Amino acid sequence: MTEKKQNYLTHPKGIMSWLLTLDHKRIGLMYLVGGILFFFIGGLLALGMRLELAAPGNDFISSDTYNNIYTLHGAIMIFLFIIPAIPGALGNILLPLMLGAKDVAFPRLNLASFYIYSIGALLAVYTILAGGVDTGWTFYTPYSTQSTSNVIPMTLAIFVIGFSSILTGLNFIATVHKMRIPGLTWYKLPLFVWALYGTSLVQITATPVIAITMVLLMLERFLGIGIFDPALGGDPVLYQHFFWFYSHPAVYIMILPAFGIISEIIPVHSRKKVWGYKFIAYSTLSIAFIGFLVWGHHMFTSGQSVFSQIVFSFITYFVGIPTGVKIFSWILTMYKGQVSFTPPMMYALSFLFLFTIGGLTGIFLGAVALDIHLHDTYFVVAHFHYVMQGGTIVAFLGGLHHWWPKSFGSMYNQTIANICALGVFLGFNGTFFPQFLLGLRGMPRRYATYDEQFVELHSYSTFWSGILGISIFLAVMNLVWSLRKSNKLDPGPNPWGAMTLEWTHTTSPPHPHNFEEDPVLEHGPYDYDKVIVEPTFKK
Amino acid sequence: MSEHHITPLRTYLIIAGALFFLSGVTVWVSYFDFGPFNIVIAMGVASLKATLVALFFMHLLWDDKKNLTMFVMSLMFLAIFIIVTLLDTNFRGGVNSETEYPINKRAAFYDSLPLTDTHGHPVDEHGSDHHEGDEDHH
Amino acid sequence: MSHDSSSPDFLQHHFHDVDQQYETAKLGMWAFILTEVLTFGGLFVAYTIYRSWYPEMFVGANLLLDVNKGLLNTVVLITSSLTMALAIWAIQKKNQKLSLLMLIATFVFAFMFLGIKYLEYSHKFEVGQLPGEYYSYMGPEIAHINNPHIFFSIYFIMTGLHGLHVAIGMGLIAWLIYSTAKGNLHSEYYTPMEMIGIFWHLVDLIWIYLFPLFYLI
Repeated sequence: MTEKKQNYLTHPKGIMSWLLTLDHKRIGLMYLVGGILFFFIGGLLALGMRLELAAPGNDFISSDTYNNIYTLHGAIMIFLFIIPAIPGALGNILLPLMLGAKDVAFPRLNLASFYIYSIGALLAVYTILAGGVDTGWTFYTPYSTQSTSNVIPMTLAIFVIGFSSILTGLNFIATVHKMRIPGLTWYKLPLFVWALYGTSLVQITATPVIAITMVLLMLERFLGIGIFDPALGGDPVLYQHFFWFYSHPAVYIMILPAFGIISEIIPVHSRKKVWGYKFIAYSTLSIAFIGFLVWGHHMFTSGQSVFSQIVFSFITYFVGIPTGVKIFSWILTMYKGQVSFTPPMMYALSFLFLFTIGGLTGIFLGAVALDIHLHDTYFVVAHFHYVMQGGTIVAFLGGLHHWWPKSFGSMYNQTIANICALGVFLGFNGTFFPQFLLGLRGMPRRYATYDEQFVELHSYSTFWSGILGISIFLAVMNLVWSLRKSNKLDPGPNPWGAMTLEWTHTTSPPHPHNFEEDPVLEHGPYDYDKVIVEPTFKK
Repeated sequence: MSEHHITPLRTYLIIAGALFFLSGVTVWVSYFDFGPFNIVIAMGVASLKATLVALFFMHLLWDDKKNLTMFVMSLMFLAIFIIVTLLDTNFRGGVNSETEYPINKRAAFYDSLPLTDTHGHPVDEHGSDHHEGDEDHH
Repeated sequence: MSHDSSSPDFLQHHFHDVDQQYETAKLGMWAFILTEVLTFGGLFVAYTIYRSWYPEMFVGANLLLDVNKGLLNTVVLITSSLTMALAIWAIQKKNQKLSLLMLIATFVFAFMFLGIKYLEYSHKFEVGQLPGEYYSYMGPEIAHINNPHIFFSIYFIMTGLHGLHVAIGMGLIAWLIYSTAKGNLHSEYYTPMEMIGIFWHLVDLIWIYLFPLFYLI
């Protein structure tokens, strides 16, 4: 960091100034650290699973331990990493900057949201140390009401973290509506802002339902209330309705911010105006809305009425349409642009490929007849890893690489970063493509062992998961390595030549109060056809 | 501070009066049996009361329309949750009629629960194996 | 610190002016109301589903609830909503004392609500009308009903969560009483009072639905 002026990292000083900070950028950093920590913990759990599955038989760990591992892997990755990470880390750092604001609407709520996340995280860690929980991250009844594992601490953790998610969403909605500088109308907003806005709407609407569901589950265990437990007159499928009413929109909480990141990276690294800005903006809102109507497609084999199967399947097909619109818009944005193969762009290109596969396979699963065969097989596992990891996590890595120089004032080694990006792409496909085949051939999920016929595909998957793990680890380490004091690579305020306010009007890293004076909007976010902005970093 | 709309005192008192009146109405109506319309009428009156509270006491009538929009949206998503879940729970039994209701029409623990009087004390009517039932004389 | 009209001490630094701060607070509060509607909403879903499966359970078991206490609670809560609204009206009209009085009245009515609820709950505990597996009341009125514990589970959870919100509201109103008495809230700045008022009206609103659903139909 060669910036001599005050920046948010160095000023104010002292540990208390961090613990009690109201600076959205510092809060974002704290979310980033927490998120990456839990990503690695979840990742280690996954590698444990892959080691067990490298060969049939319970050679590495017992089935009971395996049940705990996949439950913890799922719950930690989803609730402690994917849902909070992009809004909490990148959203917090960038949203006010992109709007020209000095902070989010409710800075104290923002800090509270981080501490609530931390409390939930501690409860999750307690669950691990107390021996885990073995119900699957979905906590289906009646097993979850009867299991002797640590169901209550984990459901309590999820309940608590839900509040963190709600507060973040609430804050962002108020910020986007009320804290923009004059002239920054809705259609001049960066698409990442649209994405965060759509995500926030889903967060505040869906998360309360998982909160009440976890409460009801705990009460079912404590009091035997009889709502979800069949032995007490209840209905386990009703639990699934409650659970998935949140958890399906939750996957849109996971992917919409990732879409937003891609919408930022592609125009910048293609030096070209976004094609279909309004398409992308409106498709975000459509996905947010339609996402609330399709939850039953997770329940095709559970015993719901045939009528609702048909309704859910039919509507599920519609949710793919706005998503497809985005993919085409991004591709058309790159067309005839000056594409540079920077690390962010490498991740964005990976995203386009991997997410398309993930999204399409989701449509396969939306067909009831096909889902009867594929439900609870590795086909589903492969599908959601393609969208969540090939989609969200790849986009998150791309976003980290894109905004790292802005956030820290240091440029990383782009060659190493590109190699790691390639490793992630190859490792990911090697790990998860075989799993589609495994699922089609009947390998069930959540099984610690399997028939001999599956060993070849499983061994490929395990091998490539090692490549994937190493690549992600090295990519993150490469970023962290750029923070060393001896790093001479100064990116300047606008290394990529971008046009949104965080690049054009702040230093790298930004000033504690974001802008030295209120920014005045001079052009749109992607006006590469009208304005020339020189990158401040030449490779 | 720019002028915020101040609701007149009269308005508050009239609305409160209407709420008391409607509360009385809903209790009075509950003594008649309109069959399936009992629920419709009760929810209708409740919704009217709720509308008065939201528009006047909560100031939505005069506020920025975004606030009203958010409130209405919350009700809409709640309606989606209820209605779409009912599409499942009310239409089971189509393929297999045994699935029409939850599996346990009567939870198991009732088998060991004795009948009680209106004070909750067990009443031993059938001279069964349980002998702790005491007749309640008062 | 001087009360400068262009930059009053209650204006937070990231806002340009008090109007922006006020409007933003309101928007945030309504977003929070949305989350409360969805939270309680989940419980209304459970009510609806079980009622549609077991209508006789609801129609029978609700005879065990005391309509008089329910109606009294309804009246108490509506009155408290009125006094809450009047507290804001008073402070807008620069009548600090009246506002304080109205806040205290609201607090008292809220306490009455909880008191009546306590009477209801303690009666139920006595006779064994408890949620879930703790249920033991098998009186003549409901001997023909299959799973009355489900009705009481839903009843206790919904009225319990509502009662918890009443209690939280009381805490918030107590804080308002303190702030108003100290003069921290006044005709230029009463945003917290209005926001807590909106929360309090929501509590009233939820009871407006709970009352007929459990006591009347």
